[in-house]
Amino acid sequence: MIPKMKNIKNVIFILSCSFLIIAGWSTKAKAQTDLKKKVDSLFVIASSGEVKYRAMVQPAIDSLVSLSAATVPILIDKLDTKSARERLTIIKIFKKIGVPAVPYLLKALKNPSGLVVQRICWSLGEIADTSAVDDLIKVSHHQRWQVREQAIRALGNIGDHRADSIIVTGLLDSIGQVRKAAAVADGKVDITNSIPRLVHLLGDNFYGARMTAAEALLKMDSAAVIPILADSMGSANPLVGNLGCYVLGEIGGDRAIEILTEQYGRSNPYRRAHAAMAIVEADPHDNCGYRDSLFDKESDYLTKLKIESAIKAIKNEQ
Amino acid sequence: MLRILVIGFLLLPWISFAKDIPKTTPEKTGLKLLTEYLNLKTSDIGFRSDYTEPDSFRLQIVSSLMKQPLGMIDYIENLKNSHINGQPEILSSYLFKDLAQENQTVRGKAYQADISEIKRTYNLYYTNRAFNQLLTKAALYLDVIIPKSKEKALAFLTAQQRRFLLNEFKELVVLRKEDEDLSVTAIDSLEKVEDSYCDSFVTFGYKIDKDPLLDAGVKCLRDLLLEINNIRELLKSKSISAKKIIEGTGYLPSNTDLESYLGMQSGWKIGGTGNDYYHGDYKFIFDFGGDDVYDLSYDPQNPHGVIIIDLGGNDTYRSQSDFTLGSGCLSVGLLLDFGGNDRYDAHSFSLGSGYFGMGVLYDASGDDIYNGDTHVEGAGTFGFGLLIDEGGRDIYNGAVYAQGFGFVEGMGMIYDVKGSDSYYAGGKYKDILRYEDHYLSLSQGFGYGLRPWMSGGIGAIIDLNGNDNYYSDIFGQGASYWWSLGAIYDSSGNDNYQCFQYGQGAATHMTLGILLDDYGNDVYFGKGLMQGCGHDYSCGIMLDRHGNDTYTAYDLSQGAGSADGVGLLIDNEGDDRYFAKNFKNTQGYGNPRRDFGSIGLFLDLGGKDQYLGNGENNYFWRTNSKWGGGMDIELNSLDSLKDKK
Repeated sequence: MIPKMKNIKNVIFILSCSFLIIAGWSTKAKAQTDLKKKVDSLFVIASSGEVKYRAMVQPAIDSLVSLSAATVPILIDKLDTKSARERLTIIKIFKKIGVPAVPYLLKALKNPSGLVVQRICWSLGEIADTSAVDDLIKVSHHQRWQVREQAIRALGNIGDHRADSIIVTGLLDSIGQVRKAAAVADGKVDITNSIPRLVHLLGDNFYGARMTAAEALLKMDSAAVIPILADSMGSANPLVGNLGCYVLGEIGGDRAIEILTEQYGRSNPYRRAHAAMAIVEADPHDNCGYRDSLFDKESDYLTKLKIESAIKAIKNEQ
Repeated sequence: MLRILVIGFLLLPWISFAKDIPKTTPEKTGLKLLTEYLNLKTSDIGFRSDYTEPDSFRLQIVSSLMKQPLGMIDYIENLKNSHINGQPEILSSYLFKDLAQENQTVRGKAYQADISEIKRTYNLYYTNRAFNQLLTKAALYLDVIIPKSKEKALAFLTAQQRRFLLNEFKELVVLRKEDEDLSVTAIDSLEKVEDSYCDSFVTFGYKIDKDPLLDAGVKCLRDLLLEINNIRELLKSKSISAKKIIEGTGYLPSNTDLESYLGMQSGWKIGGTGNDYYHGDYKFIFDFGGDDVYDLSYDPQNPHGVIIIDLGGNDTYRSQSDFTLGSGCLSVGLLLDFGGNDRYDAHSFSLGSGYFGMGVLYDASGDDIYNGDTHVEGAGTFGFGLLIDEGGRDIYNGAVYAQGFGFVEGMGMIYDVKGSDSYYAGGKYKDILRYEDHYLSLSQGFGYGLRPWMSGGIGAIIDLNGNDNYYSDIFGQGASYWWSLGAIYDSSGNDNYQCFQYGQGAATHMTLGILLDDYGNDVYFGKGLMQGCGHDYSCGIMLDRHGNDTYTAYDLSQGAGSADGVGLLIDNEGDDRYFAKNFKNTQGYGNPRRDFGSIGLFLDLGGKDQYLGNGENNYFWRTNSKWGGGMDIELNSLDSLKDKK
């Protein structure tokens, strides 16, 4: 009788435990479902674009942000959306949540969808937390160029030198957008030994890469930039010298003006114009008297007009 | 022989000289100069095809112009030169040609009727040979070629998928006023439903081959016009009279089955020179003249070809349902009106509308009025809709997706040859996304795709003469959205263009828009994203070649690139006036996005101009943007300077 009783007690005990576990699970599951429902309904409002509901958007975003990391996995599931508005809203929310979102996002970098991975990289770039560097480096060779672009961009935003070689390699990528991202990142991270490659990029076929390379050079040590630029002014690709003039004009100083004056002596009127405009930029008050000594002799109609316009613009600014 | 040799010898230097003349235009020269000034190249104006996954609906023309958007100028000029008065079949064949899909090398052909089908005999009631020939050809197309070409076009679709085209897919085009009052969740649900329609459609839409049906339509138009012109010549020369033709044998046996008599089948009607009234769903009407009234309907569940020929008179055409009046819905619809001041009052999908088919409305002359709602007045989806009006002072009125509208795999065009015309699009469906007091137009040379599921089509207005008025609200006047092309080419006249936003050579989201006005003193007015504006890997071009023009815009306009887009405003000649409200993002402005910049170029190549904004006479400027600028030069002086040298 006693063993029987014992058995019954055991059964009751096991059943009670099971009940408690199931109840715990279901409570957790219910809480999870409730959270998902809440996130979903808030997200409909947060990503709404209609003008009459615009006032409701920010409070909905704020509510989602206040739920913090718990919302991140639910929103990651929505990242494959075809709606640009939804996608931007999600990234905005991740940015606001910040560092607590990073572990979930890093986990999602293993997602088989390249589209999702590129958007995760974008989000990580917005948060710009150093804990993401290693994982971003891992995806920066992804076959999908959009992932490479976003990964390198994110690494640039984080600004950690562990990514230097990835960024410099990116300057040679076959896709213009990736080279652009690398040039921007290079400027942010300030990788001094990449200057020759950035100068080479001034002649890039893709204007995004070309122009951002110029901007990146302006962020670097001008003493290191000027000699490399000076060596490249005679490049067969006229864009290198023309944009080089622009960079020198922005940098300013005696050595820059010296190189620019030399360029102004060229027979090509386009190069003369670029050099002259850069001189005006570098010496806005005409302390060196270039306007009388050099530009007055200019005979080419368009070059003259460009110089006059540059002088006028500088005067207007002053 | 000797004479020919001498003339040839004399011409030789001229021929070699002509070869040396560079094939350039002021705008191309100007662009080279300005891009060089800004450290850009004209080849920088171009886009990749893989920012997002390419879909199966992309048109070859759009795809290739996205790579070199400046080609839009030549493209729209060629389109302008593609029409010959009295021969709408020529322009139709060009539209068909331009609807080739990306990577498509072979175009589908119309069903080839076999000899037994061609020789199918009807009893003849009419005795005139030319008239019977016309009726015979019409019967061959209506009974055999068009329906069987439709079957070829939709051969790989199930019955359910075919129904989808008339129900769910149509919903993607139709707007409803009631939607303005929906709650935020209801709007979201509606969007999700439409998204699901798109998801479903892309799983089978690529199986549709519109070519056989369009080819059948073009051939039908060409063959019928030969016969119609023959009859018109005979009538003109008074070799025959309409009365005589209609008389026919004058006798039909009492127990006759009319279905066996050519021209007397059900759905067929021949009208005389009096004022006739037609009511119902017709396949064929031939009317010899008079002020006629047409109350026409069409049942899309029972698609069939429709051919309406009216030789003259001030006619009134009225829709009793959608898909009427030069409308091809899963079929071919032709409405050919050869004279008179006509009035066309349509519902939707009408007045030169091709919806999974081809619709042509040809009006040879007269002051005409065109009224319609949605997908009207030259609108095409998986096919083309063409409205050609060759004369008169015409009024075009549409609500949305109208007046040269090209949707997925579609092309829509208005070609207006003469007269001072008015184009109005909008005023019915509110743009609830952006404004509480503005209306969607999505018209007047507008191309539209479903982002990101389906690339769009080509929408165009070509207007050759007259002082024209264009009014649209949101999206219009040489604009487009998502892998499409929207274009206006207005050849001459002092024209007035008014559009509130996204217009006048504007393109948003990987797409192309151009407004080209050749001659006349024109006025352009708009608020934002106007007058040469490209947003999000798009290119918008506004090109005005001659005349003293006035441009007014508030912001992000007049040569503005946004979100890595390109915007160009080019004015070649004339004493112009430019007014901008916000100097910071107009007249040569590019804004940064994705960590790099857009391109905004402003060019005035001649004349004494007046500016409120960044520009000045005889001036080069760079704006504080990434990257934009402008120039106001005297290009002619530049040429004369070169000559002197």
